Amino acid sequence: MNEIVVAARALEKAFAAGKLEVRALRGVDLEVRTGEFLALVGPSGSGKTTLLNLVGALDRPTGGELTVLGRRVGELSRRERAELRLRSIGFVFQAYNLVPVLTALENVEFVLELQGAGADRRNRARQVLDELGLGDLAHRRPSELSGGQQQRVAVARAVAARPKLVLADEPTANLDGENAEVLMHLMRDLRDRHGMTFVFSTHDPRVVAHAVRVVTLVDGRVARDEAKPEEAPHPIVPGIGKPPAPTGG
Amino acid sequence: MAALSSRYALRSVGRNARRTLLSVAGIGVGCFLALFMESLNRGRDELFARVGAESGSGHVRVVPRGWRERRDPRLRLADWRADRAAASALPGAKAVAPRARAQVLLAMGTHVVPVELVGVDAAVEPRAFRFVRNVVKGRYLVPGEQGAVVVGKVVAERLESDVGDDILVSAVGKGGDIQSGMLRLVGVVSTGSEEIDASIAQVAMEEVERLTGLPGAGEVTVVLEDWRTADAARDLLARRVAAGDAVMTWGEINPEFRGHLQQDAAISRFVSGIILLIVFLGVASAQLAAVLERRREFAVLAALGMSTGRMVRLVLGEALALGLAGGALGLAACLPVLWRFSRAGLDFRRWMGSSYSFQGVIVEPILYGDLGAWVIPYAAAVALGATVVASLYPAWFAARTDPAVALRVAQ
Repeated sequence: MNEIVVAARALEKAFAAGKLEVRALRGVDLEVRTGEFLALVGPSGSGKTTLLNLVGALDRPTGGELTVLGRRVGELSRRERAELRLRSIGFVFQAYNLVPVLTALENVEFVLELQGAGADRRNRARQVLDELGLGDLAHRRPSELSGGQQQRVAVARAVAARPKLVLADEPTANLDGENAEVLMHLMRDLRDRHGMTFVFSTHDPRVVAHAVRVVTLVDGRVARDEAKPEEAPHPIVPGIGKPPAPTGG
Repeated sequence: MAALSSRYALRSVGRNARRTLLSVAGIGVGCFLALFMESLNRGRDELFARVGAESGSGHVRVVPRGWRERRDPRLRLADWRADRAAASALPGAKAVAPRARAQVLLAMGTHVVPVELVGVDAAVEPRAFRFVRNVVKGRYLVPGEQGAVVVGKVVAERLESDVGDDILVSAVGKGGDIQSGMLRLVGVVSTGSEEIDASIAQVAMEEVERLTGLPGAGEVTVVLEDWRTADAARDLLARRVAAGDAVMTWGEINPEFRGHLQQDAAISRFVSGIILLIVFLGVASAQLAAVLERRREFAVLAALGMSTGRMVRLVLGEALALGLAGGALGLAACLPVLWRFSRAGLDFRRWMGSSYSFQGVIVEPILYGDLGAWVIPYAAAVALGATVVASLYPAWFAARTDPAVALRVAQ
């Protein structure tokens, strides 16, 4: 757990809003190492999503330095950033954002196809869904799934290619307490078993409770960075332990 | 495109059924109109090439050296028999007619009519110039018949002559002297065109040789089975004719007529282009609306690492599906119409009379559409081409989606 996955130095991001300039990040210093389970917290407008977008190479900083998985994001072309995201970063969005015309299985398989995975990609996608307890829902489209189920499929999609870094922007914002709990357990479990690094933003104190490290942003700066003692993982995945009964989201 | 991406594209087409149906209908209508216009263009080209050939010019013609520049009817072929043999050996040659021409005066009583007297081989001429078969009085020439003439209805009226009358013919001889002879009127033909009927006067080729003192034929006219092979026939025949003789196509013989046809075709194709442009804009608008509607989805795909090229291919794949459906619809709707159009034709006789002449060519105003294997690749090219080109901008727009901005706006 020593390798540096994300390194931000005096990171800045400003947006033009008409004639005004909005400085969303004002010199963020942050280091994230392999296997961390890190929560970004802070009030609305504090820069959480902006920071996640930069770390996810969706955007480029306007100042400072940002290195993700050894690549300097500010120097990467659009194509190189897309390649970095495809190969090494998984995303979980607040609104699930599954492709509506594809089934759960196809949504997961699609990422593997984008990566150029071979003929076994369907089996790999099915394995991931099984791992997250979604095997029975593989052939349902997003509209036939509850919010909680959709978000679990979104997590399956994010981790299917075994990325080193998984970013989740308010992943539980649209879930009820029970589904939020299930999701956090799943993410913790994946991190524990596969060594992935999870960085997620949240407002939800119940979600924060699962984090091993909590970084608080205020006005585009890191106001607090605290590590928490790691609890024993909760066994929730079929085959490992009994999950809470999935409920509608 | 990989299998899952193809499925994705296909299912995306079905998302908004109403828009998809409207797009497919629009492409179908455009395809229908484009096919119809093209059938009309091809039919018109065929009609004019056919009537041009049947009006005497043939599809290809062997002419003497210098004729192309001077158009002098006194010029004669170097070896017309060799040229006729070479022309007869051409693949697809339907009729091979040697002719000799002379400017003459026909006179009867006090009436004098200047015409171009054409010496022909009566055995083959009616196959090369079908309107001389329209004999309204008397008969056509008999092969080998001397001292006989067939004239157009207007010529006969101007001479106030009738079948059985003797007509004086006078021509300038080889040495510049006036040569005269008597011809018996054996038949009067009517083409339906006053202009043409005022110019027809045919005799045996030997009569023209005797009058002018110029031996042989001044041209060998060839009518082909398929007018589209005229260029190839010209090239082939040019290598086989007697030294010094040249070969021209019907368009080269009658450049004004060909120019008019080309102008006509250009106007038709311009109209087709306008139709396609309208379809094109409709498809582009619908595709752009579809892309804008799915901006968030494209942002997510970009966030997942989908490359620009792949996203373009995804949108173009959807366009291809629309184009295929629209092309199939347009083709299915148009085929019965083209079938009818190619058999019964569009009959303009009610408005234009039974025939009219243009640039010396008699035209029957019945336009038959062309129906052939070309309709399938043409429909595919129109539907797929227009749809894919119309989708290039929406595809580029989708591929340029900035995931960070699009997701921020969506949230």
